[in-house]
Amino acid sequence: MNDTRGPGSPAGTGEGRDPDSTLLARAARGEAAAFDRLVRKHTPRMYRVALRLTGSAAEAEDVVQEAWLSAWRAMPGFRGEAAVSTWLYRVVTNTALASLRRRAPTVSLDAAMGHGGGGDDPGGTLFGKGALSDPHANPEGKVVRAEQVGAVLHAIGQLELSQRVPLVLKELEALSYEEVAQVLAVSVPALRARLHRARVALLARLGTRL
Amino acid sequence: MTAGGEPLEDPRWEWVRAAALAPVATPRGLVDRVLFSVRGRSGRGIADPVLLRQDGGTLHVGERAVVALALRAARAAAARIGGIGVSAAAMAGDGVDLLVTVHYGTRAAEAARRLRVDVTAALTAQFGTAAPPVSVHITDLRPGS
Repeated sequence: MNDTRGPGSPAGTGEGRDPDSTLLARAARGEAAAFDRLVRKHTPRMYRVALRLTGSAAEAEDVVQEAWLSAWRAMPGFRGEAAVSTWLYRVVTNTALASLRRRAPTVSLDAAMGHGGGGDDPGGTLFGKGALSDPHANPEGKVVRAEQVGAVLHAIGQLELSQRVPLVLKELEALSYEEVAQVLAVSVPALRARLHRARVALLARLGTRL
Repeated sequence: MTAGGEPLEDPRWEWVRAAALAPVATPRGLVDRVLFSVRGRSGRGIADPVLLRQDGGTLHVGERAVVALALRAARAAAARIGGIGVSAAAMAGDGVDLLVTVHYGTRAAEAARRLRVDVTAALTAQFGTAAPPVSVHITDLRPGS
């Protein structure tokens, strides 16, 4: 594992020129170096979203690869109506949703998150293989922090997708309401209402674990 | 949270903020595997056509189509076989390269053989006898489930 980093502020907030749009335009014209830079810059963020949505490291890797293939195909049609980072959030979110819907009939979320026992989890889970860690905490603090973070992520993983996705994008990725609304193609008022329900549902689930 | 309270003011929301700050490690080599899948080992670009020789002519198929099909077939086959995971697929020369990880305890050679056979069958079903050959590269080992 390398390239550890927490959620950074999303690139391209709509203020001023999105520097990625130039890279994307060059990549769409076939400039390999420009595409490389986009991949290197955005893959950690896309992986983080995929991991938090799917709860499985292996599935998240698959999602990121499929998302980049989709992005590559769609690049010529990118019209710059959203920041490139927002557009990539949309691509990876939709790819993760498609993956989750494909596996839904056969794999329970509990099994995928490592709490159901007996699940086939070839790539490890969010909590079981050190995907999340706080390298700066003391040992006791690490344990407490890991338990809290684990409880939150497990509870988020149990939310229905319509609540989980906006919660991950807004609360974990720190996107603005406007950016999340763009990613999900919903209005900001509708998003706010959905997020409120998701937050209440999350706390309710946290309450049952304490 | 009390009934009707504001979730963001609930003390437990600090846990959510902690979760947001928790670093997430990007898997080693993921960026390279993405680039490998998108560009192919040759670096020539996934938009370039793959030429498949047939009786009486040549079939042109977009490289991205071949790679996407191979990747999907490989992941489905790996799920059936067990003990093996597919990291990436790409065109290499006239064939398809699959990068795979094998779990400890899995008979790697047999799993790789079955994967190659299954993916070859899937590609043959699509492209007939002109389907590109499939090579499997074991790139990593990981603990089993």
